[in-house]
Parts: sequence; C-alpha cells; structure tokens
Amino acid sequence: MDLAAPHLGFVFAAYGLSLLVLLGLVLWLRHRSRTLSRALQQLEAHGAPRRRAVAEAP
Amino acid sequence: MQQFANPRRFLRLVDLVEPWAWAVTVILFAIGLYLSLVVAPQDYQQGETVRIMFVHVPAAWIALLAYLDMAIASAVAIIFRHPLADLAAKAAAPIGACFTFLALATGSLWGKPMWGTWWVWDARLTSMFVLFLLYLGYIAIWHAIDDPGRAARIAAIVALVGCINLPIIKFSVDWWNTLHQPASVLRIGGPTLHPAILTPLLVMGAAYLALFVTLHLTAIRAEIMARRLRQMELARADEV
Repeated sequence: MDLAAPHLGFVFAAYGLSLLVLLGLVLWLRHRSRTLSRALQQLEAHGAPRRRAVAEAP
Repeated sequence: MQQFANPRRFLRLVDLVEPWAWAVTVILFAIGLYLSLVVAPQDYQQGETVRIMFVHVPAAWIALLAYLDMAIASAVAIIFRHPLADLAAKAAAPIGACFTFLALATGSLWGKPMWGTWWVWDARLTSMFVLFLLYLGYIAIWHAIDDPGRAARIAAIVALVGCINLPIIKFSVDWWNTLHQPASVLRIGGPTLHPAILTPLLVMGAAYLALFVTLHLTAIRAEIMARRLRQMELARADEV
C-alpha cells in the first residue's frame, strides 16, 4: 500500500468503520447472550417452573 | 433438519460448532485483510481507493444474503410452524441491518473520491437504502407488538413482501441507468475482475460469510434463551 497515495483517508475510514460496526455487533450479541444466560440460571436456581409444567398441572 | 427443531438439541449443536466457527472466521479475516491491504495491487484508475471494495462488496453480499435467510426462515415459520424458524428470522435482522449500513456507508466513502459525491438517489443506492429501512421496520415490529406469536406472523409477512426488493437491488444496475457500476463478479459470463483483485475479494467474502454464520448462531441461541426466560417469567407470574 502506498501511504502517500491520495484519498487514503477514505480507505482507512471504510476499514475503521467496518471494524467498529462489526466489533460492536459481536460485543452486543455476546453481552446479550451472557445477560440472558445469567438471568435464566438465576430463575432456574430459584426453582421457577416452565410454563408447560404449569399448564400441564391439574 | 427437523431434529434441530428441538431448541435444546440446537443449543448443544451451537455450543459444539461456535468455537470452530469463530476460529474459521478469524483465520479468514486474517488472510483476507493481508491480501486486501498488502498483496492486492492499486487500480490503474482508482489507485488505493479500490481497497474499499474489499469491505464494501462483501458487506452488500451479506446484507442481501441475511435478508434472503430471514425471508426463507419466515416462510418456514408460516408454512411448517417450525419452532425455531421465527427465532432464526428475528435473529438475522439486526445482523443484516448492520451489514446493510456498512454497505451504504462504505459505498458512500468510496463514492466521494470516485464520483465526487457521497450519495445519489440512483436505483442501486436507493434500493439498498430501502433494504435498510425494511430491516429497521422488521425489527420495530418485533419491539412494538407484545404478543410474540402475533409479532412473528406480522414480521414474517413483512419479510416475505420485502423480498421483492432483492431482485430489484440485484438487477437495478441493468434495468436503469445508474451511477453505480454494473455487476462484475456475480454475473453471467463470469467475473470481469483480474485475479489479483478477485482473490482478495472472494476471501473477504468468505470471511464475511463465516462471520455472519457465527453471529447468526449466537443470535439464535440468545433468542431461544430470551423465549425460555419469558416463558419462565410468565409461569412464575401465573403462580403468584
């Protein structure tokens, strides 16, 4: 890559923006997974019944 | 396929596949970025700005693929009532929206030095913008309707109706006079690009595809957990 070439700022901006958006997406999805998993574990630890189990109960 | 309709079995499969999918994604990105930024030559007309193509074009491919994925999953949810299909469609939407935004934004960053403008309302750019709005609309429906069953049905219909935009995006450069160039890779008669440019583009395309698959699996798992959490909270509320 020729670092003296014109318009190089546009190239870096495109790669930087792609990195930022994709990294943000990865981090958001992993955070959401972790938060949901923790909430599920807490509910299961407190013995919360499944909806089906409640529906099937006499 | 039907055996993975069981969410627990699907979650076990995701746990097994996910680390390998991440490994493949990272390796493909490492090779792709090296080829794109170091090995690929300058274009004789565009100079270094041609390198924007290696992030712009794959983002556009995945934007279309994610919508197709969403539409197929929506059709499966409506026709076969597959228990994971509506979640797979819902999970694809924010990922597809991000790739569409990237295709638009990197295209704009490429357009300014090459066309002299950030944006024109030509058929290709406008139809891609409509795709972005379709993703946002689909996501908004899921957020606006409390009943997940009703939200899934309405969102699925919107996704299927929006499918009409996919061939418009693909063929817009052939049907109308556009500032955007015609297809140079996915076209009858084969790619028109030189292998020195085509190879990095295809490797980056594979990296973006691997990232999409990996993120989609992660997102489906999150949706399964969110649904289970909602069911448990409702069950607990019923008890009280």
